[in-house]
Amino acid sequence: MTASAVGAECPPRRYAHTSVQLFRFSAVSWNAHRIHYDAAYAATEGFPDAVVQSTLHGEMLSRYALEWAGPGARLESVAWRNVATAVAGERLTWAATVSSVEGARFRLDARILKADGSECVTGTVEVTRAG
Amino acid sequence: MTAPVVSSPALEEVLTRARELIGRWRDEDCGTPTVKDFCRYAAALNDGGYIRRARALEADGRPVEAPALFLAATMSWEDGPPEDELRPDGLARRESPCTEGLPVRQVHGGQSVRLVRPPVAGTRITAARAVVSARHKRGRSGEFVLLGVRTRFLSPDGNELAAVDETIVVLDATGGDR
Repeated sequence: MTASAVGAECPPRRYAHTSVQLFRFSAVSWNAHRIHYDAAYAATEGFPDAVVQSTLHGEMLSRYALEWAGPGARLESVAWRNVATAVAGERLTWAATVSSVEGARFRLDARILKADGSECVTGTVEVTRAG
Repeated sequence: MTAPVVSSPALEEVLTRARELIGRWRDEDCGTPTVKDFCRYAAALNDGGYIRRARALEADGRPVEAPALFLAATMSWEDGPPEDELRPDGLARRESPCTEGLPVRQVHGGQSVRLVRPPVAGTRITAARAVVSARHKRGRSGEFVLLGVRTRFLSPDGNELAAVDETIVVLDATGGDR
């Protein structure tokens, strides 16, 4: 059973987005912004590679929260702020702390960290565990 | 307390356009998403489990709910536009409210998504969207405009499925005040 009292740290999850995933996510979300799949164009805006989509960060915040909450958990809300840009291939870490518990409903203060430990994304996720 | 002076003419124009649009809601037909639409979205997230569950439900004739952020993550529901109508950065006009033709660049500042009821495959969905705020700011890297855009996704009976608040950061692309 995962510790789920207020203040409990969720086990961190480590991952990276490939350039293929960034392209596919842009395609499926009908997002033609070139910074997300055209590394040469992204460089003209000062980015070292194709940029991870904001909504893909939101997906990762939510998906790992739902995994932590267990089978059948439901996403109630997610909010996030992009603090720094992440790019294709960059090693990222999802981390979260339980900030409130009301019955089966949990609020997590979640963040996505860069390899040096600095914040890339900060946010909150609310999930309800299955009954 | 006085508002900070806007140095960039482009950002000044963004603010002017945005303030004229605040509170003017526009409806957009999102169409009728299918199980295939949901599965392709899940595939882009490497979520094979969703695809297996969705196809099994469909085979049983049961309703298939969308991945939780399917609506929020989809940037546009329009048929187009063709490439020659995109801005140089690839964005379409609708995706860049208040910035068309201006020497600016934009990035997502963040999002807040509240889920009410998951959309089900085969249900027609409408998105109501409006600019809700426009603020000029000055930070360590220079001045910028923060646009707030709200989208409400509605089912045919008018019930809300999800509400999304986005913050779009607009910067002067000429590098004049960085």
